[in-house]
Amino acid sequence: MTQVDLPGFPRPVARPRELGLLLAMAGCLVLGSLSLGSTQAGGLALAQPAELAIYLGALAAMHLALVVAGRRVDEVLLPVVGLLGGIGLLLAERLPQDLVVQRVGPLTLGLASLQLIWLVLAFAVGAAAAIAVRSDRWLRLYKYTWAAFGLGLLLLTFVFGRDVNGSRLTLDVGPVSWQPSELLKVILVVFFAAYLAENRVQLADARVRVAGPLTLPPAPYLLPAALMLALALGIVVIQRDLGAALLFFSVFLCLFYLASGSKVDVVIGIVLFVAGFIVLALVFAHVRERVANWLDPWADPLGAGYQTIQALHAFARGGLLGTGLGAGLPMVDGHLPIPAVQTDFPLAALGEELGMAGVVAILACYLVVVARGLRIAAGAADDVRALLAAGLALVIGVQAIIIAGGNLKLIPLTGITLPFISYGGSSLLVNGLIVGLLLALSDRGPAPPAAPRRARRVRQDRS
Amino acid sequence: MTARAAGGRREGALGERVVRLGIALAIAFGGVALGAGYWQVLRADDLAHDPSDAGVIAATQNAVRGRILDRDGHVLATNRRGTGGALYRVYADQSLSAPLGYASSLYGSAGLEAADASELLGLGGDDPLARALAKFRTPSPRGDDLRTSLSLALQELAVRLLGNDRGAVVALDPRTGDVLALASTPTFDASGIANPATSRAAFTEALDDPGQPLLDRATQGLYVPGSAFKIVTAIAGFASGAIDAATSFPQQPGDEITGLLVDGFRVVDGHHLFTGSEVLDFSRATEVSCNIWYALAGLRSGGAGMDAAARRLGFGAPIPFDLPTAVSQLTNGGGPLPGGFADDVELANAAYGQGEVLVTPLQMALVAATVANGGLEPRPRLVTAFVSPSGAVSAVPTGTLGRVLGAPDAATIAGAMVQAVEGVDGQKFTAGAQVAGVTVAGKTGTAQLGGSGEPNSWFIGFAPAEAPTIALAVIVEHGGSGGARAAPLAGDLLRAYFAAQP
Amino acid sequence: MDPLTLTLWVIRLAFLAALYAFLALVARAVLRDIRAASRDPAGALGRLVVVASARTPAVGSAFLLDAVATLGRDLGSSVVLEDSFASARHAVLTFRGRGWYVEDLGSTNGTLVNGEPVTGARSLGFGDEVQIGETRMRLERGIR
Repeated sequence: MTQVDLPGFPRPVARPRELGLLLAMAGCLVLGSLSLGSTQAGGLALAQPAELAIYLGALAAMHLALVVAGRRVDEVLLPVVGLLGGIGLLLAERLPQDLVVQRVGPLTLGLASLQLIWLVLAFAVGAAAAIAVRSDRWLRLYKYTWAAFGLGLLLLTFVFGRDVNGSRLTLDVGPVSWQPSELLKVILVVFFAAYLAENRVQLADARVRVAGPLTLPPAPYLLPAALMLALALGIVVIQRDLGAALLFFSVFLCLFYLASGSKVDVVIGIVLFVAGFIVLALVFAHVRERVANWLDPWADPLGAGYQTIQALHAFARGGLLGTGLGAGLPMVDGHLPIPAVQTDFPLAALGEELGMAGVVAILACYLVVVARGLRIAAGAADDVRALLAAGLALVIGVQAIIIAGGNLKLIPLTGITLPFISYGGSSLLVNGLIVGLLLALSDRGPAPPAAPRRARRVRQDRS
Repeated sequence: MTARAAGGRREGALGERVVRLGIALAIAFGGVALGAGYWQVLRADDLAHDPSDAGVIAATQNAVRGRILDRDGHVLATNRRGTGGALYRVYADQSLSAPLGYASSLYGSAGLEAADASELLGLGGDDPLARALAKFRTPSPRGDDLRTSLSLALQELAVRLLGNDRGAVVALDPRTGDVLALASTPTFDASGIANPATSRAAFTEALDDPGQPLLDRATQGLYVPGSAFKIVTAIAGFASGAIDAATSFPQQPGDEITGLLVDGFRVVDGHHLFTGSEVLDFSRATEVSCNIWYALAGLRSGGAGMDAAARRLGFGAPIPFDLPTAVSQLTNGGGPLPGGFADDVELANAAYGQGEVLVTPLQMALVAATVANGGLEPRPRLVTAFVSPSGAVSAVPTGTLGRVLGAPDAATIAGAMVQAVEGVDGQKFTAGAQVAGVTVAGKTGTAQLGGSGEPNSWFIGFAPAEAPTIALAVIVEHGGSGGARAAPLAGDLLRAYFAAQP
Repeated sequence: MDPLTLTLWVIRLAFLAALYAFLALVARAVLRDIRAASRDPAGALGRLVVVASARTPAVGSAFLLDAVATLGRDLGSSVVLEDSFASARHAVLTFRGRGWYVEDLGSTNGTLVNGEPVTGARSLGFGDEVQIGETRMRLERGIR
C-alpha cells in the first residue's frame, strides 16, 4: 500500500488470471442457471437470465475497475467470492420468491431480486474499498476509537434491538432492518490486529513463568485477552448469540496465535472458553436448551428439534450428487420442509440439491478464501497488515465453518449467516467490505518500471 | 515502532505460523466435509426413507402405489381412481386386513403398506443400485409391485373358519419360511378406510370395535399357550440333553393322583386318567399331554436349559419379519433362578405352558416349523419379490433363524407329535386335526386363563409328517379345549390346502 | 428413461463438474503463486542496512526491499524514517531491469548518495550509501 507517484503511475494493469477465472466462474453459473431453469420449466431454459446477466455484469465491472485502477491485487479472491455469491443467487431464485418481500415505490421485490441488489451493492462496496483504501493510518492511530465504536454498536443493539428467534441481533432503522453484529466483526478484527501486532514482542518474548514449563504473557497484555473471553461469554448470555461469541473468540485465538506463536496460550484459551461455556450451560436455561437440542433433536421433533431434523433430512435426500437445482425440497402441504431456509439453512438446501459433491465444493471455496487471506498475510508488509488480512479472511472462513457445522449437527445451531450465500443485506455488504479490504491489503505495489533506455551508460558496480 | 521493513516479506516465524494455522483451518473444513459425508452418505438411507421425511410424505401424496399380489399372482391390493381424480387403495378381501394393513391419505398406513412404503411408492428400497437408478426416474409415477407368499384362498378360508371368534392363524412353509396365511380376527374394512369417501366412518368403526380389529393378533397378540408349549419344553429337554425318547419318571403315575409337589405347590393333571398306572415315556407323554411328565422334564432341564432353547427359537426378542412382532416370553423375569424364573414352581408351570409364558401365534408357528424342518428354524417372510414397473424382479432371499435342535431329536419330537394326532389316545384330544390320506403331526393346547372364562384353544402342527410342506399355529380366544375349536379348524385348513395341491 | 430426464441429468452433472473444474483452475493459480513466491524469497533483490541515524531506526538494522520501496516520514512508506529532516514522501528506490535506482520525490532537504545530491533517477550499486536527513543507509545484496 504505497503512495508513489512515479511517472506513469497508476496506469491500468491487465489481470489475465482473474479474467480467466471469472470466465470459468461465469460458465459454472450459466450451467447452474440452465440446470435450475430446465428443471423448473420442463425444457431447456435459463432461470432468470436477466438477473444472471446483471450479476455477471457487476462482477465484470468490478474486474474492470480493478484493472483501470492499476492495483496489483490478489487475482483469485474475486472469482471465488463471485462463485459463492452466484450460488447464493441461484438458491434465492430457486426458493419461493415470496419468502421475503419488500416494497420499493411502485415495485414489489421478491427474494431473488433483493439478493441481487444486495450482492451488487456488496461488490460495489468491495470495489470501492479495494481501490480507495491505500494506507492503514486510519487503523494504526485510532484503534481504541474503533474498539469503542464497536462496543457502542453492541450496546445499541442490545438496548434498542428486537428479538429474532431468541437472539437480539436486529436493529430497525426506518424501512431497513440490519444487523450491527456483522459490522462489529470487522471492527473487532481491525482492533485485534492492531493491538496484537503492536504488542507482539511482549506477547511472544517477554513472557512470565507461571508453573514449570508453563509461561504466559505478562499481565498487562493478558488483560485484554481476558476481557475478550468475558465479552464472548457475555454475548452468549445477554444477546443469546452463540454464533457471534464463537466467531469472535475463534478469530481472536487464531490472531493471538499468529502474534505470539504460543500454542499453549491457544489451548488454555480453548479450555477456558469451553469451561466457561459449560458453566453457562449449567446456569442458564436457554443455553442448556440449545445444547440439549444439539445433542438430540429427536427428543422434541415437532418443537425445538424440528429445524435441525428437517435440515438433516434434506442432506440425506441429497445424497452424493444431489437432486438437482430446483428438484429437491419437497413441499408438504404447500410449505417448504425447512423453516427459515434462506437465512439459517442455505447449506441444507444446497446439500439436498447439489449433494455432497456440491457441499464439498462450496466448503472448498471458503477454504480458498481463507488460504488467500493467509497468503496475503504471509506476504504483507508488516505485522498489522498481516494480522488484519488473516483476521478478515478468518472471519469469513470461521463463520462458514460455524454455520456449516451447525447445519450438520456437528456443533449447536447458531444464528449467523453463511457468507455470500445466506440472504441478508447487512451480511452481504459487510462481507463485500471484507473482500475489498483483503484486496486492498494484497496490493503488491506498482509493477517495477521497465529499465531506462539509456542504460548503455553503465556505472561501475562496486559489488 | 519496531525496526521492520514496510516493504519486504514476512520473516520465517510468522510465515510458519500462517502455514500451521492454514493447515488447522483445512483440517476443520475437512471435518465439516466428513460431517456432510456422514449425513449424506452413511445415514442417508434411513433418514430419507423414514416415514416422517418430507420427501416420503410428498411422495405418498403424489405417487401411485404398486400393487400387492399373492403367491399365485392374484391381486390383493390395487388402486382405483375416485371422484376428483385422486387414487385410493382397494383390497381384494377383508380377510387380508391383518397382513396388508391399509393406506389412507387421512390415517397414514399400517401393516405391509407401511412396512414397505418406500418400495410401494417407488422410492427405491434398500438396494443401493435400485436407489441410484430410481434417481434417474423423475418422481416415479409408479412404485414397485410386491409379490407375497400369501395364498388368497387359504387366507380367506382361515378367516371364515375363525368366524365370529377372536383369534389368529399363522400358516407357513417350513422349508422356506413363506407365510401362506396370516389371519387375525376380527378383521377390519381396510378398503373402507382407504376410500376417502368412507375413510372416517370405517376408521372410527374399527377403533371403536371392542374386538380391536386393528390389532394384528397373529404377530402382536400375546397369549398363554397351554399344552402347545410342551413342544418347546421338549426341544429344550432334548437340546440340553436332560431328556431323551426313553425318559420316564417313576413317580409320575402316583403324582397323577396326588398331584406333583413342587416347593409346596401341587401340579395337577387329571385329563388322561385312562393311562392309569402306566409310566409314560416321551412319546406317550406327548400323546396324552401329561402335565406331570412335562413339569418334571422342565425341572430337569432347568431354567437355563429352557431359556437357552427358547432364545434360540426366537423368544425374548422381536422376530425378524416384514411386519412388526411382539416379543414372546418364558417369564416376566427378574427372578433369581437361571432364565429369570422366580422359583421352581414357576418353572414347573411354565414347562407345561402356564405360569408367566406368553407367546405370539407367529412364534408358535415357527416352533412347529422348526420341528418340521429337522431342527432348522426358517426365517419367516411375507414378501418374496419386488417387481419394478419396468418388470425387473428383485427377489427376497429365503433364510434361516438358526439351528435350534439336531435332526434326530427333531425327528423324535415329530414322531411324538404324529402320535398326538393320529395315535389311539391322541385322537381323543386331537381328532379334528386329522386329514384323510395325510399324516398330520401336531399338539393341542388348552390355556387356562384363571377367572371364569373359557380357556384359549390352541393347535400347532405340520403335515405331511414325512416331508412337511405346511406348518401352522391356530389360536381361538376362549374357544374351550384345544380339541374343541383349534384342532378342527386346523384340520379343515389342512384339508383344503392339500385338496388344492396338484 | 425419457430424453428430458436424461438431459436434466447431464446438465446437473455438468454443473457439478464445472464447479470442480473451476476449483481445479483456482488450485492451479494458487499453487503457481506459492511456487513463484518461494522462487523469489524475502529480500532477494536487496536490503538497506542502517549505518548512522539520529534515534530510530536503530543502527545495524536492515530493511528488506521490494522492487519499489519508498522512504519518508509518511506512515505509508516502505521504509518509515522518523528523522526531522525527512519529508513525508522523501525518496523512492526502484529495481529496474538489472539494477537499483534512487530518485528524490521533491523533498525539502534533498537526498544524498555517497555525499552527492541526487537529481533525477540515479543508479545505485551495492555498497553505495543513501543519506536522508540524519539517517544514512547502505544498499547491500539481498540474502536468501
